[in-house]
Amino acid sequence: MRKLTIISLFFALISSFTIAAEVNIFSARHYDSDIQLYEKFTAATGIKVNVVSGKDKALQKRITEEGADCVGDLYITADAGRLGAFAAKGMMQNAGWSKAIKDAVPAQFRSAKWTGIAKRARIIYYSPERVSANELNGMTYEGLADPKWKGRLVIRKSNNIYNQSLVASLVKNRGKTTTANWAKGVVANMARTPKGNDRAQIMAVAAGEADIAVANTYYHALMLSGKKGAEQQEAAKKVKPFFPNQQDRGTHINISGAGMLKHAPNKANAVKLVEFLLSTEAQNHIVNNTFEYPMIAGVTPNDLVPGKEMNFVMDTKTSVKSYGAKQADALEVMLAAGWK
Amino acid sequence: MKFNSWYLSSFIVSFVVAIPILTVFASFFQETTNYYDILKNTFLIEYIYNSLTLLIGVLILTLVLGVGCAYVVSFYDFPGVKFFKWALILSFAVPAYIYAYSLTAFFENFGTLYSILKSLFGSGEYNQSIPKFDGMLGAILSVSFSLFGYVYVLTRASFHYQSQNLIELGQNLGFTKYKSFFKIILPSARPAIVAGLALVAMETLSDFGAVSFFGIATLTTGIYDSWISFDDLAFANQLSFFLLLFILGLFFIENISRKRAQYHSPIKGGIKEKKKIKLNFSKGTLAFVFCFLVFFISFLFPVLQMLYWTIIFPKNLFDLNTFQLFSNTIYLVFLSSIVLVVFSFISNYGNRVTKSKFLNFLTTFSITGYAIPGVILAVAFITFIAWFDNTFVKAFEFNSIKKIFIGSVFGLVIVYFIRFYSLAYNGLKTGYERINRSIDESSYLLGYSKIKTFLGIHVPYLKNSVFLIGILITIEVIKELPITLILRPFNFETFATTAYIFASQDLLEAAAVPSLFLILIASTFILITSKFILKD
Ligand SMILES: [Fe+2]
Repeated sequence: MRKLTIISLFFALISSFTIAAEVNIFSARHYDSDIQLYEKFTAATGIKVNVVSGKDKALQKRITEEGADCVGDLYITADAGRLGAFAAKGMMQNAGWSKAIKDAVPAQFRSAKWTGIAKRARIIYYSPERVSANELNGMTYEGLADPKWKGRLVIRKSNNIYNQSLVASLVKNRGKTTTANWAKGVVANMARTPKGNDRAQIMAVAAGEADIAVANTYYHALMLSGKKGAEQQEAAKKVKPFFPNQQDRGTHINISGAGMLKHAPNKANAVKLVEFLLSTEAQNHIVNNTFEYPMIAGVTPNDLVPGKEMNFVMDTKTSVKSYGAKQADALEVMLAAGWK
Repeated sequence: MKFNSWYLSSFIVSFVVAIPILTVFASFFQETTNYYDILKNTFLIEYIYNSLTLLIGVLILTLVLGVGCAYVVSFYDFPGVKFFKWALILSFAVPAYIYAYSLTAFFENFGTLYSILKSLFGSGEYNQSIPKFDGMLGAILSVSFSLFGYVYVLTRASFHYQSQNLIELGQNLGFTKYKSFFKIILPSARPAIVAGLALVAMETLSDFGAVSFFGIATLTTGIYDSWISFDDLAFANQLSFFLLLFILGLFFIENISRKRAQYHSPIKGGIKEKKKIKLNFSKGTLAFVFCFLVFFISFLFPVLQMLYWTIIFPKNLFDLNTFQLFSNTIYLVFLSSIVLVVFSFISNYGNRVTKSKFLNFLTTFSITGYAIPGVILAVAFITFIAWFDNTFVKAFEFNSIKKIFIGSVFGLVIVYFIRFYSLAYNGLKTGYERINRSIDESSYLLGYSKIKTFLGIHVPYLKNSVFLIGILITIEVIKELPITLILRPFNFETFATTAYIFASQDLLEAAAVPSLFLILIASTFILITSKFILKD
């Protein structure tokens, strides 16, 4: 035991030398462009950014088990439901967001413990050849269960967090029983057993496997950008985006965000990093690399992103905080409906 | 007291390896709350159904591919046979998850095959006529093509060691080719085939990368999910019970079959080079096409797909910090090989000199670590360290040990050690069994101490085994994904984790470069050892 103590003292010594100016990130959102941003931050502030990336749940498990010894400061992930659920487990602390952060981020996209960094919308894509404007007139998420879409809809699996957050927002607005029936309707309308990611859903519409798909906005832009090759660029042009619920609460919005971990040893540096990520420079970098919507005012989205004029109605009434709170209900109704 | 120190050190090695295995069992007896009671039974049936479907599919395919290739390569002479003999084992270099990326990329809507058809025949509606190898079918193919090598290598070795030419025997008995294949050749190699299939089955049930990529919920992903996502240890317990039942069963089948296969093999030096039957043109072509297809689909296809992406998106190649990834990978390989070889030596020697039944039992138990899926082992390790730290270390007010074990290269190497211990231990044991015990006795009579006998006689004698084991560990560590992903330190990536992370961000094109490097490095090591792998 004494040996172990000596070893751990030794390790503590090493780490105390390096924690002078650093911030540690557990990231489930691993874009190369994020790494470039962290490098810019280091260049500007001298604060070193250390990253472990991985799958959400595995990272959360590691953070939880490390407990008070966890050196992570920020947990970064691409879904409000995940941030909310992890905060609810008591794994985050009040971040003490600076005035700059509070001014930049609208209140419905942050809590005391976490804040949004970029926005994305989960929308409908359709084939203009097979779906008429009339058919889509006044289309809502609720309308996905309409029998007229029988055999025409593709959407990914129920274990996908984007779907869980979307369904959580329905549970919040329509109640659990109504949403349970809705989920059954959606399953009945599916053109195939759910498979693949959001981009695969868009391509299924382009390939004629289905008429409408549900997917996030940035995937379409990614395809249009040519980063996925010439064929997918062409395929992306065969589908059109549609923003649902324009007549009522607005289109479902989700965030990429960062939460302050409970035992963060470099809290002040972490706040500085978040401030940087919300700066005009960083936001411009994000919108042009990941094709998300900016979190702050005064930055324009990339030209390829659907809804880039930002003139569609966003669902700002349903707080993104409810995605975590209603996550379990959402998963339960989807699974009960036989949503694979 | 040297006797006791050997006993003690081998005891400690085996015990350390056994701890996480015990943790896996122990943690499942804790109760926790959960919301999904009603749905559990459906889940359980689905997980078992999926695991079984996957298992049966993979077993059938690897049986046909492995035995088929071993049969033609061993008994017949046709153009390219010398090449295929070793080229077929290159499939070991392609992990199932990378195979899965290639399969998806090639056959998906507007994928590589679509591009090829378009450039050959102009624009058209090809998507509907392109078969989609995803879901369960994709998983079966990915796992099979990355694992059939086990069946191939073991079956070929068994054919190689046959004391007489079985085809001639069949001819003398007046059997047709088919009859001699099913009545003589297949039964003679049965223990080897079963051992190969049992290895394949264990790896299939433990697979995490490929099945989670295709979204197939198996027992392994189910345990991971209920343990990690739902904090539902009770359900994880139920699932692990089924999984471990499967896996331990396979583990013992494998061990027994391997012993039988050795029993069938001849006494040293007794192998005559058998004359192979020369095939005529049409049959030779058929054999060539079969072997080439297996080689192409298992190795060239994923490599070409990755190469294609690297060429059309060269930016990914230049953006990747190849040198850093390479040195990280090699660093891990180096540390884990040394640790594994040294400790397997100690426990092998300890078992040899003490002849203790208990120690033998503990060692046998500890090598089942191989049977526990890496992803579950990693989570078990974190859980155990946290529990140990909270219960003992904190209670005595020592400094926390978590930082030493979780998120450190040290911890990573420990878990690799547990996972691959059986590989190293059994490898050395096979070598050790060839050293006659009378050599030890004479060495003691000549006044050499145990340590001198060990260092002066055993170690040099086992040089080749050590080399082979070192390389096998290297290949496994290079390909290893879930343990590295869960336990690695800050700012520490390997080729495997980089490929995985790109793929999980829907950037399969970017995953191509690290995948390609991974395959190339693993292939190099395979080629270095191909002589040994094919002989032993
Ligand atoms: Fe996404």
